[in-house]
Amino acid sequence: MNHNPQSSEGRHDDDVALSDFLASLMDYTPTIPDELVEHYLAKSGFQCPDVRLTRLVAVATQKFVAEVAGNALQHCKARQATIPKDKRDKQQKDKRLVLTMEDLSKALREYGVNVKHQEYFADSPSAGMDPVTRDE
Amino acid sequence: MSNGGGKTGRLLEQPSTQRRKVGGDDFAQAIAKVAVAQVCESEGFHAFQQSALEVLSDVSARYILNIGKSVHHSANLAGRAECNVFDVIQGLEDMGSLQGFTGASDIDHCLESSGVVREIVQFVNEAQPIPFAHPIPRFPIVKERVPTPSFLQRGEEPPEEHIPMWLPAFPVPETHSESPTRNGKGTEPHANKVEHERENGKGERPQLNLQQQMVSNISEKSTLVDPSDAKATRVAVEGNPFLAAPLKIGDKEVASVAPPAKLFNVIALDNPVVENFVEDKSISVLETFAPAIEAMKSTHYDSEEDRTKILLNEKPTVRFKIGMGNKFLGRSTDLSHKKDERQKTLSWFTMEDEKDDRKRRAEKILRESLENPDQLVQL
Repeated sequence: MNHNPQSSEGRHDDDVALSDFLASLMDYTPTIPDELVEHYLAKSGFQCPDVRLTRLVAVATQKFVAEVAGNALQHCKARQATIPKDKRDKQQKDKRLVLTMEDLSKALREYGVNVKHQEYFADSPSAGMDPVTRDE
Repeated sequence: MSNGGGKTGRLLEQPSTQRRKVGGDDFAQAIAKVAVAQVCESEGFHAFQQSALEVLSDVSARYILNIGKSVHHSANLAGRAECNVFDVIQGLEDMGSLQGFTGASDIDHCLESSGVVREIVQFVNEAQPIPFAHPIPRFPIVKERVPTPSFLQRGEEPPEEHIPMWLPAFPVPETHSESPTRNGKGTEPHANKVEHERENGKGERPQLNLQQQMVSNISEKSTLVDPSDAKATRVAVEGNPFLAAPLKIGDKEVASVAPPAKLFNVIALDNPVVENFVEDKSISVLETFAPAIEAMKSTHYDSEEDRTKILLNEKPTVRFKIGMGNKFLGRSTDLSHKKDERQKTLSWFTMEDEKDDRKRRAEKILRESLENPDQLVQL
């Protein structure tokens, strides 16, 4: 890319970059299907026959979801790291990374979405706790 | 609680129905769940809590909706119905303003060089495309409606001038006008009832009139039958003996016996008591009820078969014959309108619907006539 100090040239570059990107979207298949995005966009009043714009929204949504999921993953990993080492050996078998409401609500809070846990009543104090903590 | 099970069952049912009502796009939600799950899997998750997956898919669906709203709004603000790239970028910037993006502080920046777009370009370049797991049909499916063919399409002429050709044609006449099964049992009871009432109200009268006219034509060949006469007789039939057509001289002998015979046959069958009275020889009464007696004799003593039949199922036979008698009434009235006594009887018969009433009256009349035969003779 030609980094020209002149603003008009720079804008021209941006123009080219944008049109290139939009053209590349034609070949790119986002994980979020076009039909779904079109459905929700049509619900909101969005009206455009251009598939590239739909793809752009799809990609943006996918990026958003990926960011949220990445955040939640970091929360999940951090939570697992706080468990003491001797317990971690026991927990080794279920080291699977699980997307939980706890992590997700923390991740979503950064994006302005407040998720509240459903109220939860247990018949015994140990119900719903981790099997490790129940052992103690 | 004894009825706890039932209650909880109902409570469990309610949310599902409500949810179905509110949702409407369960299909879209299901697809969103799969897509979000795929994205999460690519991020490194192994498993999900069901509720977390639902929340995330719901949030992402709302994200798309909000982008759409924002884009639509900015397009409308520029006076356009269709959106273009810059509207979309503007919408993405609006959605991303909470996190912030590079160059967000520059208010006058060009949308082409927006930080949001750059981030997206970076994301697309880094992430390898993961296609959606399932093939998706186009949705929502809009069912095509089949309209009723118009007059033009059917090639029919509209029944009225003021109906334009392009309007949908009327249904086949059989469906809305008189149908052959109207009196059948197949139609709905209410409509049937109404029809019956209408028939009883209007249909019976012309029939009666027709009968009267026919009978009077047959029996009174010499006397002319004009409409007013027919009307008068009809009134007489309806119960007022004083409005009956005046007797004509020489008409006395005209009254034929045969049609009333059937009628009186019915009466005689109705109440055997009459028989006893009639058996007592009183000339005038005998004269009046001669046909009845004859009929009685024929039915009661002539054939064994008849008698057994009557004895076995008296009720149905009697009822049936009353129906017949009712039909004959008009004729007989016409035939015997010189005899006041008889006419009175007949008019009573017309009026009374109750079988018991009829019996009683016939009995009463017989008694009266027996008690004072002079009156009858005078008549």
